[in-house]
Amino acid sequence: MTVLSVAGLTKTYPNFTLQDVSFSLPQGRIMGLIGKNGAGKSTTLKSILNLVRPDAGKIHILGKDFQQHEEECKQEIGVVLGGIDFYNHKKLSHITQVTKRFYQNWDEQAYQKYLSTFELDEQKRVKELSTGMKVKYMIALALSHHAKLLILDEPTSGLDPVSRDDLLTLFLQLVKSQGISILYSTHITSDLEKCADDITYIKDGKLVKSAEKTAFIQSFQHLKEADETKALTLEDIMILMERRQYDV
Amino acid sequence: MYNLLYKELRLAAHPNLFIFTFLGVLVIVPAYPYGMVFLFGCLAPFLTFMYGRETNDIYYTSLLPVKKSDTVKAKFLLVILAQFIQLLISLPFAFLRVHVLVEGNPAGIEANIAYYGFGFITYAIFNFIFLTEFFKTGYKAGKSFLLGIIPATFIVFFMELIVHFPKFAWLDSIELSMMIRQIPILCVGILFYVIVMYLAYKISVKRFAYVDL
Repeated sequence: MTVLSVAGLTKTYPNFTLQDVSFSLPQGRIMGLIGKNGAGKSTTLKSILNLVRPDAGKIHILGKDFQQHEEECKQEIGVVLGGIDFYNHKKLSHITQVTKRFYQNWDEQAYQKYLSTFELDEQKRVKELSTGMKVKYMIALALSHHAKLLILDEPTSGLDPVSRDDLLTLFLQLVKSQGISILYSTHITSDLEKCADDITYIKDGKLVKSAEKTAFIQSFQHLKEADETKALTLEDIMILMERRQYDV
Repeated sequence: MYNLLYKELRLAAHPNLFIFTFLGVLVIVPAYPYGMVFLFGCLAPFLTFMYGRETNDIYYTSLLPVKKSDTVKAKFLLVILAQFIQLLISLPFAFLRVHVLVEGNPAGIEANIAYYGFGFITYAIFNFIFLTEFFKTGYKAGKSFLLGIIPATFIVFFMELIVHFPKFAWLDSIELSMMIRQIPILCVGILFYVIVMYLAYKISVKRFAYVDL
């Protein structure tokens, strides 16, 4: 079953165009959305969520058209936007009390379970949480309303290696135990080596390729230099694709 | 709708919103330009919108399982609620002052029926400019406030000034026969508020749909 389908997504800014991006994410899989800074990863995710108004394109979540069924689609997803903190001076308990009112499937028992699993103290204020804990709190909210799709914008950026590994392990467990699907953007390619099933690569606002990870890596091996014996990694592929020559 | 308003009151509202809303009691102050109450009613949403920008409130609302237009609806509900409650809070004090401050208000208009009519007109004009301008971007609260507060202050000035002219002394009266004469001003004010807020909402939703967060 396809959880998320993006077709022909286009958004034009004065100095940047996201052009005709299409991909789909099946149930129970983790997709990494990669590209260098400014490639259009966040614009893609925000367009999917209607935070940015796309000029063209269709988004379907669990078969439903997002534009026409915005509320229903949002009931099924959990979102973590990198670098955006809400209500820094409010306690987590305050934010949860408000948030849970909006979800039909809110599961208080599950919420309490995730709080204790993630060692989150509800009496803490948002500003008192580390970057990793903020991401975990948002994930706890998403899982407590039984989101079937998690959309995360650079969730591992700014995290130390231990916290990053911790979060990636959590992603893998969530997919395994609950069958949820995860779409997350990153430019840290080593994260994807560990936990992504599929890779979608965006360069200068255009989709380069969206495929299963092994097939994706395989399809770029022609970039390898003649004397190179080892297979190219995701990082090698990105660097070779994006490398610029400066005439200075 | 109730959930949106609950969210606004619990998370989005700056404490000043509650304080300024309570300032409806100022109509009991002797010799005071009561038009200031309405200006506080305009200042309160501005501070809350500034606070919302600081707390990423609009982002949070947009990610909830609501339509994008509900983000606009939530703010409208909050502003309308605060302004109505401010006027409601002022009412018992407007009655009380007739008995306590029998010499009237030498500084400007009495807290009478015409005063409330002018209040609705002041709010409507401020809200229309402030809200429609704000939802063009979702973050420019300062510019929107400045554009809205200038005409609102002008109306308050006009109201406070006109009652000093003998020809318009009836506007300053709290005598029953004069207050009956003032009723059309209140009716026009309420009707104006309702129509203008409806239009402001429609325009704001349309504008906010094109805002890229």
